[in-house]
Amino acid sequence: MIKFKNVGLHYGAGPEILKNLNFNIDPGSFHFLTGPSGSGKTSLLRLLLLSMRPTAGEMEMFGNSTTNLSKAELMQMRQHIGIVFQEFRLLDHLTTFQNVALPLVVRGEPESSYKSNVEELLDWVGLGHQMHVRPELLSGGEKQRAAIARAVIAKPDLLLADEPTGNVDPELSERLLHLFVELNRMGTTIILASHELHLLNKFKFPRLQLKDGGINVSN
Amino acid sequence: MSLISQFLPKPKTPFPIVPIQSIAGRTLALLVAIMTFLSCVTFGAVFLVQNSTLAWSSEVGRELTIQLQQVEDEQMLSDIRTAISLSEQSPGVARAFELTIKDSEELLSPWLGEQFDISAFDVPRLVVVQLADPAKFDLEALKAKITDAIPEASLDTHELWQQQLNAMAGTVVLSGALALILILTATVLAIVFATAGAMASNREIVDVLHFIGASDTYIAGAFQERFLAIGMQGGAAGGAMAIVFFFVASTITSAILPNQSATQVELLFGQFTLGWLGLFGLILVVVTIAILTAITSRVTVHRFLAQIAP
Repeated sequence: MIKFKNVGLHYGAGPEILKNLNFNIDPGSFHFLTGPSGSGKTSLLRLLLLSMRPTAGEMEMFGNSTTNLSKAELMQMRQHIGIVFQEFRLLDHLTTFQNVALPLVVRGEPESSYKSNVEELLDWVGLGHQMHVRPELLSGGEKQRAAIARAVIAKPDLLLADEPTGNVDPELSERLLHLFVELNRMGTTIILASHELHLLNKFKFPRLQLKDGGINVSN
Repeated sequence: MSLISQFLPKPKTPFPIVPIQSIAGRTLALLVAIMTFLSCVTFGAVFLVQNSTLAWSSEVGRELTIQLQQVEDEQMLSDIRTAISLSEQSPGVARAFELTIKDSEELLSPWLGEQFDISAFDVPRLVVVQLADPAKFDLEALKAKITDAIPEASLDTHELWQQQLNAMAGTVVLSGALALILILTATVLAIVFATAGAMASNREIVDVLHFIGASDTYIAGAFQERFLAIGMQGGAAGGAMAIVFFFVASTITSAILPNQSATQVELLFGQFTLGWLGLFGLILVVVTIAILTAITSRVTVHRFLAQIAP
């Protein structure tokens, strides 16, 4: 599903943040992306989200090279990717239901075609009772579950998560990780970035470890 | 505002992706309202001047006066009768009549007051000649007949005054048009800044929409929809304020000012009434500003999206 061949990245004239990355991600897999703060986890996720292009090497996603993608093709490809951020990034003027439905709305789907799916998903992540409230009334854990629901509502092939447990307490962090495991069991490929090793150690998934710009893939 | 929103195009999404109320949105609406008001007032003023000038010009063009120098009473009465008779015999003339001393005093009363006694001055007597058909009328022939019969008489067609009036009106119309163009240019520039500001303050929404796979066209459409609504609401508010302004101005001239002053204002500026054509012009100004807002915001939004990373 994803192939990195000698991929490198630097910002402007700065030093290389990522150097000579070579790895493959198979469909349906679950990988933790780890490494100390500043090791380039977020930069690698931005490459995977196609919001940046590598400054060296070549990336392949979903069987296509990303090198010469136009902006329109890139946005098309991004519809296969879901993303969860540490800081949730829900739109404050929309309700939980509207935030979760957003990826389907921008695809032009009529409300009648997704209403029951969104409601079912919100029930599944435990937010059925908070469907019509705005993010300001949700707790940190509820916001993150809403963000996860938004990321998966369009059934993406790849789900990226950048420190999704960074803003929630340890108990909820573990529950959120179980949620990701459930989604993976349903067939979604997941790459989850986190530096909380004590939490990741509770799960046996392969790891992409970033250190000094390089990557080490361990099982 | 809610009444206006009923006439706006129905949004393509079941809920507004760009917030309806925002500080940047309110600023843009206020800005468009003020610019529309200024444009409408400028247009209305130019329209009133143009209308009054046309009315004056056409009225004055159908009239000329014969001036008779003061002579002894009996001779004067004879001169007046001769002038009237010769005028009425000329082709294209509807009627000719003497402007009595009382008539002259009434005409001058708005400026000189009711107590003014014109007979104390050596003012020439006037015969007014009204034309039925200016095309059939031969000025030179009448001039020759009159000066033949009354050598001291002179004819005034108000041509010079008419030319000056037209030149003045032309200058006012041109200045008004220039002011209107400058206001519209300033509106475009202000909308560019307000739109860019609104986009920057909604950057988080743009980024989230990008991350969930929305294309630039979709995002631009969502923002343009908002900006068009804001532009139309601001434009309608500005246009409505201008209509109220002209209504109040009209009421003031006809009701608050004393009759004499109102007559003077009307004589100088015409009536403060736009009529249906003027109202149509105001609506056209509002629509022009709404279209300008839509086009300007569209260009600004696309430029903004082209500059940021997907």
